Amino acid sequence: MNDKIKLLIVDDEVNFLNSIAQRLEMRDFDVTRASNGNEAIQSVNNDKFDIALLDLKMPGMDGKQVLEILKREHKYIEVIILTGHGSLESAVECTKLGAFGYLPKPYELDKLLDILKDAYETRMKKKFEKDDQRLEQLMKIATGGSALSILREMRKLDDEEK
Amino acid sequence: MAKSKGEDSGVFAGNIIRDKHFKDIRRKHAFRLALTYILPFIFLIIFFQYEYNLLLSEGQSLHMKATSENQSNILGLYLRERVVNLLNLIDDPNFNFPPSSDDLEKYLKKLKLDSDAFIDIGFFDTSGIQVAYFGPMSILKSKDYSKEPWYINLQKLERRYIITDIYLGLRNKPHFTIAVNKIVNGKYYVIKSSLDPKKIYDFMTGSEQVGDIYISIVNRKGQYQLVSTDRGKVLDKSPIIPKIESKIGVNKTEVNGKVVDFAYSWLDEVDWAVIVSRKFLEGNYLGLHSSLIIISVIILFILIIMIIFRANKIAQMQIEKDIAKSQLEHASKLASVGELAGGIAHEINNPLAIIASEVGLIKDKMDPKFGMNSSPEDLEPHLEHIYEAVFRCRDITRKLLSFVRQDGIELRQHDTNDIINDLIDGFFEREFSVSNIEIVRRLKKNIPSITTDSNQFKQVLLNIINNAADAITPPGKIIISTTFDGEHIIISISDTGKGIKEEDIGKIFMPFFTTKEVGKGTGLGLSVSYGIIKNLGGNIEVESIYRKGTTFTIKLPLFINR
Repeated sequence: MNDKIKLLIVDDEVNFLNSIAQRLEMRDFDVTRASNGNEAIQSVNNDKFDIALLDLKMPGMDGKQVLEILKREHKYIEVIILTGHGSLESAVECTKLGAFGYLPKPYELDKLLDILKDAYETRMKKKFEKDDQRLEQLMKIATGGSALSILREMRKLDDEEK
Repeated sequence: MAKSKGEDSGVFAGNIIRDKHFKDIRRKHAFRLALTYILPFIFLIIFFQYEYNLLLSEGQSLHMKATSENQSNILGLYLRERVVNLLNLIDDPNFNFPPSSDDLEKYLKKLKLDSDAFIDIGFFDTSGIQVAYFGPMSILKSKDYSKEPWYINLQKLERRYIITDIYLGLRNKPHFTIAVNKIVNGKYYVIKSSLDPKKIYDFMTGSEQVGDIYISIVNRKGQYQLVSTDRGKVLDKSPIIPKIESKIGVNKTEVNGKVVDFAYSWLDEVDWAVIVSRKFLEGNYLGLHSSLIIISVIILFILIIMIIFRANKIAQMQIEKDIAKSQLEHASKLASVGELAGGIAHEINNPLAIIASEVGLIKDKMDPKFGMNSSPEDLEPHLEHIYEAVFRCRDITRKLLSFVRQDGIELRQHDTNDIINDLIDGFFEREFSVSNIEIVRRLKKNIPSITTDSNQFKQVLLNIINNAADAITPPGKIIISTTFDGEHIIISISDTGKGIKEEDIGKIFMPFFTTKEVGKGTGLGLSVSYGIIKNLGGNIEVESIYRKGTTFTIKLPLFINR
């Protein structure tokens, strides 16, 4: 099992995207790049990510829409907003929509690394909680009923997990 | 390419675009409504007119038929009465067989009392010889009539009477004969009388209102028996020949190239038909009922007025929908000069973020901690990116500066029309003459001077006129007009360009909003203009009809209240 943090970065400025991605890769992040909303959604559908760094002003699907979709369909991803278009209103809105954090551009690397760490910890905590829950469910299933009912219950769990 | 300069006109440039659009819609709808209502109405009128005419001619035909029947009945009755007169004579017990001339004279007098049509009277013995006669043709006495057709027919018919057709006979005057017979002691006797057809015709035509119809009587062969002298002579062939198969009927025939309707009715007593035909009235008969025409014209008139009103109303409603007015509240919040700074900040933040990121990356690559041992070639691309980002920032600030003067506002008195004329004569006239865009000036004369900064004001005009030109696919027009409403100078710039969509019109004053493709426009022009005008104490409004044109209206007070 890979212990690198899986990170998705979404930004339409190609140079910015590449430079920040390289810097984080050098710091042992497993980085996937996406330059617009559609690419971002495709990536999260194909793979599991721990954190996403999301720009707000993008052509086509803008950052807020992507944030909504992520929080709706991939709840375990923590999203950090990284944007040049900073305002108090927008920060409050994104937090309401479920963003973990909000950083302005240009960023300071230390602050970015801090918030990434916090986000990851939160993510892990949630994962463990979920794993505990699942263990309990499995225990319940294993101790009850016939072989067939066990299989049925396991199948149900699997479906929920998706 | 003709241009008009400085006309004094009260009509507003903005309204021209709106008015033309209004008139277009109104015309279209009026046409549609006319098609829907007036066309069917006209068809209906024509249909009713046709039906009415049919009805009319039917009525007239019936009338003629009735008249002909009536007349034939009258004539039949008349003839029967004359027959009865003769029968009464011969059946009278005092009748002498054979009568003498004096007897006949007496008898004729009696007959003439019954009717003045009787001309003479004759008595025939069993061998058909007229043995006694009284009347104008005494030469007929003793003539043998046994071979005459009427005598033979009378015997053949086994009837007591016979009426002959009209003939000329020896007298060469038309007359006809009624003969009756009687068998006395096995012996066959006949008396006959000649009758004057003219008396009968007078009797008939005098008995009915025959103002607009002709009456004539013909025999089987179509020869006139009775006819008015201005139409023909007795025994001439009538141009109208009735059918023999039916006793009564209505028909048409052609006389002298004109179609004539006629009715006929055959008599029972003799093979004659009464023919009734309509007098042809020259020219009058168009078949148009006058009151129907008056009513239709009135109704048509009302319809047209209603259509015009309705088309007006529809056009009005359509116009309200089409005109997109700018949402001033939203635009003003964003487009004041202070808010402009926020928009600029964001635009600059992106290149700055690139610079910071690339610098950080270079540092990382040079950091022994990461052990990348980067060569200068590895670092080269990052320096390139930084360089690009720096100049991106420079471009943004430069474009902004090119629109906004750094050296504050200079207030002086100016004549608005002069400013506009200077601008156009010095600058646009040249430009637009090449591109086939007509500039029309409608500058109201003698509007008061305004205290303002002419450079900034010119910038705004330049920006809006350039936008107008960009929106037009030539050929097109830009109309600039000025007026004064008592408090403000009002400048209106209208174009016949492609207009602004409703969803965009609220955003046009927003900084960096542009519908032009990348590189063609910064999206700063209108927001800066808006800011300038607001600073000068005035207001900008916009009205647009998508695909038809746009009008910008600038209002400036005579004096700025700071």
